[in-house]
Amino acid sequence: MQYLLDQVISGIAVGAIYGLVAMGFALIYKATGLVNFAQGEMSMITAYIAWSIAGTVSGNPWLVVGGALAASVVLGLAIERVVMRPMLGEPVFATVMVTIGLAVVLRSATLLIWDAYPHALDIGAGREIVHIGDTGVRSAQLAVMATLLLALGAFWAFFRYSRIGKAMRAVAADERAAKLMGISAARIHAVAWTASSVIAGIAGVFSALLYDVSPNMFHVGLKSFPATILGGLDSVLGSGFGGVIIGVAENLAAGYLAPSVKEITGFIVIIAMLMIRPFGLFGEREIERV
Amino acid sequence: MLSRKATIALLASGMFAYAAHAQQQGVTANEILLGEVEPLTGPPALLGIAYNVGTKVAIAEANAAGGVDGRKLRLLTDDDGYVPTRTIQSVRKMIEVDKIFAFTSLSGSGQGLAVLPIVEKAGIPAMPAIGPVTGLYTPPRKSVFVVGQSYEEGMYQLVRHLATSFPGKKWGILTQDDDYGVALRTGFARAQQEFKLNVVSEGEYKKGQQDFSSEMLRVRSAGAEVFMAGGVIGENVAMVKELEKLGSKPVVGMFWPGRVTATLKLMGPASDGIYAVDYVDPDNSATIAAFTERAKKLVSEAEVKAMNRYTLAAYASTKVLIEAMRRCGKNLTWACTITELEKTKNFESGVMGPISFGPGVRFSSQAVRIMKADFATLSFKPVQ
Amino acid sequence: MRSGHFKERTEQLIVLSDSAPVWAWSAVLVVALAAAPYLLNAYLLSFVVLILITATGALGLHLLTGRTGLISLGHVGFLLLGAYAYAVPVAKYGLSPFVGFALAGTAPALVSVLVGIPSLRLKGLYLAITTLAFSFIIAHLVLQMSWLTNGARGIQVPRPEMFGISFDSDIRFAQLCLFVATITLFGVLNIERSRVGRALMAVRDNDIAARTMGINLQAYKLRAFMTSAFVSGIAGALFGIYLSFVTVEGFPFLMSIEALAILIVGGLGSTLGVVFGSIFIVLLPEVGRTALSLLGENAAKLFSTGANELRSVLYGVAIILFLRFEPRGLVGLWGDRKRLWVNWPLRF
Repeated sequence: MQYLLDQVISGIAVGAIYGLVAMGFALIYKATGLVNFAQGEMSMITAYIAWSIAGTVSGNPWLVVGGALAASVVLGLAIERVVMRPMLGEPVFATVMVTIGLAVVLRSATLLIWDAYPHALDIGAGREIVHIGDTGVRSAQLAVMATLLLALGAFWAFFRYSRIGKAMRAVAADERAAKLMGISAARIHAVAWTASSVIAGIAGVFSALLYDVSPNMFHVGLKSFPATILGGLDSVLGSGFGGVIIGVAENLAAGYLAPSVKEITGFIVIIAMLMIRPFGLFGEREIERV
Repeated sequence: MLSRKATIALLASGMFAYAAHAQQQGVTANEILLGEVEPLTGPPALLGIAYNVGTKVAIAEANAAGGVDGRKLRLLTDDDGYVPTRTIQSVRKMIEVDKIFAFTSLSGSGQGLAVLPIVEKAGIPAMPAIGPVTGLYTPPRKSVFVVGQSYEEGMYQLVRHLATSFPGKKWGILTQDDDYGVALRTGFARAQQEFKLNVVSEGEYKKGQQDFSSEMLRVRSAGAEVFMAGGVIGENVAMVKELEKLGSKPVVGMFWPGRVTATLKLMGPASDGIYAVDYVDPDNSATIAAFTERAKKLVSEAEVKAMNRYTLAAYASTKVLIEAMRRCGKNLTWACTITELEKTKNFESGVMGPISFGPGVRFSSQAVRIMKADFATLSFKPVQ
Repeated sequence: MRSGHFKERTEQLIVLSDSAPVWAWSAVLVVALAAAPYLLNAYLLSFVVLILITATGALGLHLLTGRTGLISLGHVGFLLLGAYAYAVPVAKYGLSPFVGFALAGTAPALVSVLVGIPSLRLKGLYLAITTLAFSFIIAHLVLQMSWLTNGARGIQVPRPEMFGISFDSDIRFAQLCLFVATITLFGVLNIERSRVGRALMAVRDNDIAARTMGINLQAYKLRAFMTSAFVSGIAGALFGIYLSFVTVEGFPFLMSIEALAILIVGGLGSTLGVVFGSIFIVLLPEVGRTALSLLGENAAKLFSTGANELRSVLYGVAIILFLRFEPRGLVGLWGDRKRLWVNWPLRF
């Protein structure tokens, strides 16, 4: 029983990181209709920036977190303005391909600016081991779970109450009608990219706290992708939950079957799910009209 | 028909025989051109760049001492990003276009195996030392010489040491799902049989994995008291930190690709007392200190910083090659270099044990040493 | 005087090309490619071989994505299967390369049915994800079934000998690749002008309309899947022979992305574009290398450590810039040049 509990709790902690990155995927998809293949890379860059800040101002976690957040905002805005906005109106395929090009650039830029060695992100917090009952977890793991909950709540409120959130839903539902209503699609896209970059960045910083910064970090993008599909590509909240489900499923598969199946568990889960609900757990069913 | 076949064979092998009479390719009156292919971009650049520095040090040393029979050595470096197709392209280019004299690296193990047919056909001397896997030297290829030790043997020695030091314990092992992992498991299986180990937990993880919580829970719940961490750097770090979190303290053994200072820094105090195995000298030994001093004078500061155990592997391997070339004197040819390489007996490179080859022996089978991590000094110290 | 380009019969519409110059130039190209192995050195030849193999594989994906509109992110799974389906019987059990090539095509085609039937309900990205998932699962199974595939150790693959010809030399192997690529290109072009090809196009452009026209969506999608897998499998086998060593690691996920990049950079939906795209993507990394070597020794010193990544950055930037300024792909660029040539001095 304790074993099961341990597996589930550490699964939720991993899943929370997936969930945050997956929410970033869904946010961009919802607002722009694109899959951003550079999501994992964006989260890696922010983590590296956080590491650089931590190296210069040691011991002040708030400064590091604040700096990393600011950097992720700039990164998101810059990507939208410089790379994505010129592609407005071009075929979706070409635009998605641009995000792949972007991923290559970010990945190499990381190695160009920093190096290939893994480094520990030391912000003076997050590594302590906390005991809940008999289960040991690191404080950063608790923090990432709390952050996911916070992000879920924040986005729920954002879509429901804020003007921009409603505008984003309008753009997602019908871009042309939204434009006619005076909503600037470009601005909505900018907001989506920025918000997506911020939550990817948060995930990156947590992942760096728990697993160090390394040039392999961008894999988190590919690993979180199943979470987005599970939750529904256009469902930001669903993607967050999807991440947790995938995280727990992975740990249970590795814990009870064999460690080698861990990496494909997410994919098996989504294949099974897509056979039943081809639009994701929380996604909207597409209705085809002739 | 025969002449056409012969022409094709000649062209394909790139051995322009008519030129060979005058001079072997890559050798001019005052210069010898060497080449190496390795990953200089992407995460594997970690080992590629370090390896490159090692070759540069060996070459700079030889040049400072007047070169090889009056000829200066020049190194051509190509990046393959650890992608076999690009290794093939680079190796072809170096043989055909740049016309180098010998290879000081053929990139990693999988890449090396992919270019082996090309190298063998051309007959060009090659010293792949990044990933000394069995496939590179069994069956022995005439012109391919491997300085190092196989992962299988290294693992066997490490397990043997631990099995005698900690008899009657329960064992756990987790390895990567690639040829490196297979080699480790093979070595482990051999030791397991010989020492009748009680293995309670066995597993494989996918390359690039970051979170090891479920695997380590498995290891703990199986009650493993000796654990072999079969990762490279990040993976081993994640495993050890996870064990620390779980409050589980088995004896941990790990492998040379991860035997770098960075590993200890990342693991923190939990790294103290971890066993490692390697065939190059430990960091704090006098030989390595002397090597680092010499290297500082020959390569840039950034390059000194990039050094790790792969630098030493490259240095030793290249030094063996240069020594063989030197023995050939004026008449520097592939045939002579291969013959002289074969005659290498107990060669002292200064960074690992004596290196020997022989007729039909293309693998130096370096003696390995068991080391123990010391967190206070961030180094690995030999166990005796 | 003919004042336009009239097509009066169906045959004229579906003919491969009704322009004599196109045929003439194609013939010149084939002759040039056939002669290339004898003229080029082994290094340049290896690019020709790589482009031919890449084009064959990309043509496989083109049938599925370009013509039928089904996006696949798991193309590498079929390449991998093809490579193993060739390597296992030929290198491990010593069977004839004919058996190897036959299996390299049929094994992926059969597996594609397994993947295809359940995933054909899915559309767009969701299908892309199932294929992605499939490629990871295939790689996992290949690693696990080590009794058959040698697992992570990989299989050493010799160059084949068929029709009494040994393809051991690079020249012969290049000719083999040229042969396969040409056959594939003609095959794809011919499928496109057949009933099946037109049906696939209808499925791509508007599946509901296609259905009302009496096209069995499931059957045609499945057919596209199988043909695509077959062609990709053959390309995978050639790639395995080229590498001379087949492992799962030799077929990274990146190859799926690269295959899509080829289609998009070439011009999605265009067969000619696939050829252009393959050339572009294969040669792009080399451009950086050549540019670097032109800068000479001093620049090379600069690149002693991490700065090598600059080349990879340039690779990504090139793709972004290209799509930014030519989202129709190389084939759009080619069309512009042609029009300029024909209409000159008029602009349109």
